Amino acid sequence: MKKWLLPMSVMLAASTALTGCYGGGSAEEETSGDNADSGDIKQEIVVNAMSEPPAIDPALATDTTSGWVLDHIFEGLYTRDQEGNPVLGVAEDVAVSEDGTTYTFTLREDAKWSDGSQVTASDFEYAWKRVLNPDTGSSFAFYMYYIKGAEDYNKGNGSVEDVGITAVDDTTFEVQLNSPLGYFDSLLTLWTFYPVQQAAAEENENWAAEADTFVSNGPFEMAEWNHDSNVVIEKNDDYYDKDVVNLDKVTFELVNEATTYYQMFKTEELDLVMTLPTDVIASERENEEYVEVPYYGTYMYMFNVEQEPFTNAKVRQAFAMSVDRESLTENVTLGGETPAYAMVPDGAETPEGDFREVGGDYFKENAEEAKKLLEEGMAEEGWSELPEVTLMYNTSENHKKIAEAVQEMVSNNLGVDIKLANQEWGTYLDTTKQGNFQMARMGWIGIFVDPVVNLDYYLGDSPNNRTGWVNEEFDSIMAESKVEQDNDKRYELLHQAEEILMTDMPFMPVYFYKNNYLVSTDFEDVVYYVNRYPHLKWAEKTN
Amino acid sequence: MYIVKRFLTMLLTIWVIASLTFLIMKMIPGDPFASDADVLPEEVVENLRAKYNLDEPIPVQYIMYIKDLAMLDLGPSIQSETRTVNDIIADGIPASATLGLQAIVVALVFGLFLGIIAALNHNRLLDYGAMLFAIIGISVPSFILAPLLINFLAVKWGVLPVASWGTWQHSVMPTLALATTPLAVIARFMRSSMLEVMSQNYIKTADAKGLSSFKIVVSHGIRNAILPVVSFIGPLFVSLITGTFVIEKIFAVPGIGKYFVDSIFNRDYPVIMGTTVFFSAILVITLFLIDISYRLIDPRIKLTSKGDS
Repeated sequence: MKKWLLPMSVMLAASTALTGCYGGGSAEEETSGDNADSGDIKQEIVVNAMSEPPAIDPALATDTTSGWVLDHIFEGLYTRDQEGNPVLGVAEDVAVSEDGTTYTFTLREDAKWSDGSQVTASDFEYAWKRVLNPDTGSSFAFYMYYIKGAEDYNKGNGSVEDVGITAVDDTTFEVQLNSPLGYFDSLLTLWTFYPVQQAAAEENENWAAEADTFVSNGPFEMAEWNHDSNVVIEKNDDYYDKDVVNLDKVTFELVNEATTYYQMFKTEELDLVMTLPTDVIASERENEEYVEVPYYGTYMYMFNVEQEPFTNAKVRQAFAMSVDRESLTENVTLGGETPAYAMVPDGAETPEGDFREVGGDYFKENAEEAKKLLEEGMAEEGWSELPEVTLMYNTSENHKKIAEAVQEMVSNNLGVDIKLANQEWGTYLDTTKQGNFQMARMGWIGIFVDPVVNLDYYLGDSPNNRTGWVNEEFDSIMAESKVEQDNDKRYELLHQAEEILMTDMPFMPVYFYKNNYLVSTDFEDVVYYVNRYPHLKWAEKTN
Repeated sequence: MYIVKRFLTMLLTIWVIASLTFLIMKMIPGDPFASDADVLPEEVVENLRAKYNLDEPIPVQYIMYIKDLAMLDLGPSIQSETRTVNDIIADGIPASATLGLQAIVVALVFGLFLGIIAALNHNRLLDYGAMLFAIIGISVPSFILAPLLINFLAVKWGVLPVASWGTWQHSVMPTLALATTPLAVIARFMRSSMLEVMSQNYIKTADAKGLSSFKIVVSHGIRNAILPVVSFIGPLFVSLITGTFVIEKIFAVPGIGKYFVDSIFNRDYPVIMGTTVFFSAILVITLFLIDISYRLIDPRIKLTSKGDS
């Protein structure tokens, strides 16, 4: 019997020894229930960020997950209030020259880095020039091209001395633009414009790769980063506005599987989850923990105006009119999406009200009208039969369901049978970029909230514009809008541009995105911006 | 001499795998810098390409890659911008390996046990029970088993956390989900091997000598029957400790399994190369070690391996 036991016990010993090697996690013991009883609530929240942030570095981040963490641990010259409007952040004052091209920011004296040192104008200068330095390889460098000399420097045609970014003294920061920019304050809330502490970044080139070398200036500071497992941030006691910050600790778990994080929410391992599995949305919608907020993006089908039959505007309009978006969002996508009849989504505030509400819808769904337009279009082109149409989408269950529904609707309403094809994302981007499609799916989410971000997508020289559609009038109005300093006039121009775009229809909008969340009712003052994940600066645990 | 030759073959194998992967990878359409919907201005992309040396001609890229590989430097990740492939593997392998080792241990202990019990009770109820379990274990895929485990152990009964990583409790369900299929395979393997051994003449001799049946089973039966199972464990071991895409994804384990798949979708060239070469290196080295150990343990092995078995 003893011989039997030996290998068994060796194996058991091995398995207990193994329990010593769980990487990273800080399994803090909960300190009994006393705290909760005495009314002293632990100000901690655990949210799900889905996947490893690719780069928590202001210069390198291009994605919303990295941006989510960055927005909590950094703060730029401008930040956002609870409604999402840009308000002064690290800058306490700004003076704009009469011609609208020189901005002089006065920085707060009490703006501090998480190591206690002051945030100075030269930290901004360093950070912005780091973004523009071609060696950094920053994907978002082009957002700085409005600054004088920035484009030349980034493209290797100019020198860093000629860039219009100057730290005059510790608290005075001067920026020179090529021309006035109506939405510069909005743009400055983007993480690419956050400061970086020169000392920390120069000391260690990889300062942003691990938690212990992080220096930041926002409401929170980096505490732990267990790659592929979680990111932990804690309240930054050196933050100038720390009194409004209630949470002591935010943990971003990195759980990618929808069913898993949904169940983790149900077992209270997570307090906030997003992108719910579609099969539970219907049943969760009645739940008081369910939150549905507009997301500043458009789901659309691009038309290739250089390939038949979409060379004809009437054919494009006919297709757009033949899809029942109401039914599509209610029965197929199920996420509470808003049917879209224009390019710019809800959420962009203008003096007259929401840009979308002011602009209204640009077309109506109408099967009769669509059929008529199709016939007219075919007559104009002299086609007796419509050239065969293939609708392309990138491989995914959801896109497939939508494409199949659209296929059905076009067949019923227009009497046209279209084919479906799909490709894996990387290949798909290549194919569509080369114009090898007739009709193809795309989504576009505004990185900052201004109609210009959405409309720029279809500029003739935009690298995003895959449709081959170039309209000089559209391009010139967009250019005009960018230098227009009067905000009312600027929005007027943007409405005009959108109208041109929607009349010519190089694409058909399908819906405006919605984000859905499950949030524990224990938390108050979680803020939902239309183009970011929930902001927790003001959040408080009340139960 | 044999060992030196074998070692050189091993390096050659890794080089061939690295070269083939490089070639195939460059043939897939797509671009690592277009992984988001927004396409960047060309000059920006040029800066990025230069940063990752993708502006060089492909043969030059290949030579640079092989040079770095020889120095065990797998290069920077394109997707995870602040980390290198070495970092990614170093961060991920502890979790993957812990999980894999635990799964192997569970699979071996219970698989062998089940197989032996089944063989000793040949064509009786215990045998049928064990083999029924084994068939279920083989046919139920881990991505079905995993949600079932979560649903009962975590959601309904609340004895274990659903997912994530950090304490031993977090590793219980992924280990079980990962171990089930190899466990079932080992059980079936062990059963047939054991049945064969138990019908050999030397077992009858031992019985005739009057040895206790326990002793016959342990020192003559299991000892001989286990050899074929050992040869099967090598590749299994490698595939388990280098992480599994599905299990790591479902249980949010911070391993390297997902990088094998995601890197291809992201066209993250250095990570595609790095993970492939890493996996093949571990596999080749393990096979090399097993090979050597065979020869050390049993000099006859080469002579007998072809003939009767």
